Amino acid sequence: MAREGIAHVFASFNNIIITITDMTGAETIARCSGGMVTKSAKDEGSPYTAMKVAQVVAEAALEKGITKINVKVRGQGGNKTGTPGKGAQAAIRALVRAGLKIGKIEDVTPIPHDGCRKKGGRRGRRV
Amino acid sequence: MAKARSRAAARKIKDKWKAKKWYNVLAPPSFENATIAETLADDPSKLMNRVTEVSMQDLTNDFRKSHVKLYFKIHGVEDTNAHTHYIGHAFTSDYLRRMVRRRRSKIDGVFDVTTRDGAVIRVKPIATTEKRIQNSQKKLIRAVMRKIILEQGSNQTLSDFVKYILDGRISADIYKACKQLYPLKRIEVYKTQVLSLPTIQEEPVKKKEKTEEETESKTEEETTAEETEETEEKSEEEISEEVEEKKNVEEQPEKTEEAEKEAEENQEESEGEVSKRE
Repeated sequence: MAREGIAHVFASFNNIIITITDMTGAETIARCSGGMVTKSAKDEGSPYTAMKVAQVVAEAALEKGITKINVKVRGQGGNKTGTPGKGAQAAIRALVRAGLKIGKIEDVTPIPHDGCRKKGGRRGRRV
Repeated sequence: MAKARSRAAARKIKDKWKAKKWYNVLAPPSFENATIAETLADDPSKLMNRVTEVSMQDLTNDFRKSHVKLYFKIHGVEDTNAHTHYIGHAFTSDYLRRMVRRRRSKIDGVFDVTTRDGAVIRVKPIATTEKRIQNSQKKLIRAVMRKIILEQGSNQTLSDFVKYILDGRISADIYKACKQLYPLKRIEVYKTQVLSLPTIQEEPVKKKEKTEEETESKTEEETTAEETEETEEKSEEEISEEVEEKKNVEEQPEKTEEAEKEAEENQEESEGEVSKRE
């Protein structure tokens, strides 16, 4: 029996976190992040790390009987950048290659209906 | 020690996973009790109030509805079946983004409707036009939306009203009513939220509310209301008495023409979508 799950992919520029849950999102089935597969902090957001993270997660999910997933991709959002990081694409590709069937891919980056002021002050970030 | 402890922890986690059972999540009767998802828990009481999201494509096998997400909340468990009720729907954000363009107008509104069986549902329609229109025109269109939604909502039960919205019949009705004001490119209900569930005994209270709403809407735009009423009556008749309307032979050709036009437009829209996707 093919069981479905949801892969929540949070891809910021500095890290990637993938959580696979059941369809309600209440029960976590597998979880992994950039720091769990790489040593150096600068690599946590790289596509290669994302691939490895996805492999770890996919293996754990398959072991628990999840064969089909819907993907929810998420970038930083809020008053930060709305686009998912570099790792998102690599992660999804790796999930497919690991043998999971992908149902739907959706962007669920939180978008403010005008919220807080962006960090950096009036004159921007001065380097 | 540390190793032993971690090993014990690992064993515990595995046991936890084994203790969990899978439950089928069933859609409410108005959606034909279809199995919409599976979820797992070690205790059935933990299933309560979980929310599942299903795309309408999966429920109806209609690929044109893949942008509609339906939300169901679990309220009871029987054996391995969890029963749900409908708590709202939403469009995917990319579909909404595609609807809204530069140099065109977007008209949206938020209306709280009390249905005939006492449920309160928040309906959010969105309409787009081919060109920019004036604010006064927007207001008129919004008023028509409001009138139709409140009228239809207060005359139907929650499940009927939800079907009416999801089938797209509501957009067809609003489209017809707005034709004289300004031709809309597209009108859809992009979101609903059930604020409170049906309570059947509230009949008398609701009637009062309904009359208030009606008077409000009439005072706001007396002229438009009168204009649109005629078209609305037509549309309602069409839906309910399509077969019986053979007496009015003269009116028939007009209506069929309208219907054909609509069908064509719908087709064009859907084709456009498909091509975009490809």
